[in-house]
Amino acid sequence: MQKVLIIIPAYNEALNIKKTVEDVIKNTKYDYIVINDCSKDDTKKVCEENNFNFLSLPINYGLTSGVQLGMKYAKKNGYDIAIQFDGDGQHEAKYLKDLVKEIEKNKSDIAIGSRFVTEKKPVTMRMLGSNIITGTIKLTTGKTIKDPTSGMRAYNKEAIDMFVNNASLTPEPDTIVYMLKKKMKVGEVQVEMKDREFGESYLKPIKAIEYMINMFFSIVFIRALTRKNK
Amino acid sequence: MSVVLRVILIVCSMIAFFLCIKKIKQAKLKVENSVTWMVGAILLICMSIFFNAVEWVSTKLGFQAPVNFVFLVVIGFLLIETFIDNIRISQLNEKIKDLNHYIALSEHEKKAKEEKKA
Repeated sequence: MQKVLIIIPAYNEALNIKKTVEDVIKNTKYDYIVINDCSKDDTKKVCEENNFNFLSLPINYGLTSGVQLGMKYAKKNGYDIAIQFDGDGQHEAKYLKDLVKEIEKNKSDIAIGSRFVTEKKPVTMRMLGSNIITGTIKLTTGKTIKDPTSGMRAYNKEAIDMFVNNASLTPEPDTIVYMLKKKMKVGEVQVEMKDREFGESYLKPIKAIEYMINMFFSIVFIRALTRKNK
Repeated sequence: MSVVLRVILIVCSMIAFFLCIKKIKQAKLKVENSVTWMVGAILLICMSIFFNAVEWVSTKLGFQAPVNFVFLVVIGFLLIETFIDNIRISQLNEKIKDLNHYIALSEHEKKAKEEKKA
């Protein structure tokens, strides 16, 4: 039995965090850690009142930093698998065991909770962006990742180490390219995701274009040039 | 190069040079960060004094006017300086982030210990 940690980064998620954590506790036997990225609302208070296991950052530093802190915690406490899980209530905890199974049984290094393994991609602006990233990944690595922007990903020990030691790794699609170039195995598992109920996403519409440009440049000019032994 | 430009360059370089020294004395600037500025100031002063050499080099390199060469050197110097600053900012960013993580982790540890005692 491998030790599994669920990392739940949360920024201004006071309205969602309680439900998310209770979902995780009820539907899984795994440990969890909430990363409160210096929220301006009552996220910290909610965590304290409900006696959740949480880390509270004194300065807001963004999602990448939050996930890295979760990885540091996972390494420090000897976890074998770390799963990134959104605190906004979009992800469902019942699918987490499928991700763990993918790593344990299929020997994947990274398991992505994908919306489009068996389901078809809808035609929206959002999915156009997703398709562009899928195409870019296919072009640079030759592998097909059907849902590269999914925020629900499980990493094994080797991948956890990479996150701890390399601060430039974001919890985004360009890191998948980096890990594919490092000859790691990426598996996808069918999951369902809900629309968020409260609060705003990290990815506001205005920021979507900036996100796409960042991802494109990072994948094509930085991650695609990654060598296996470097 | 006109005399006016040379005088302006010399005066500004002097001011920059002494400003550096003043800030170091006030401990507002670190010596290693100020060296590039002082070297730049000295370079500008030299270029204003030995303008014959500058004119010779710039005609050899095919500049239409020596003053263009001077500007190019200054712009190149500034670009390098901003790039170095960018690297420094990134490093500082990284250090603050690590501190941030350290504080969060040690607070968590402290709380866990207290709960154990209670």
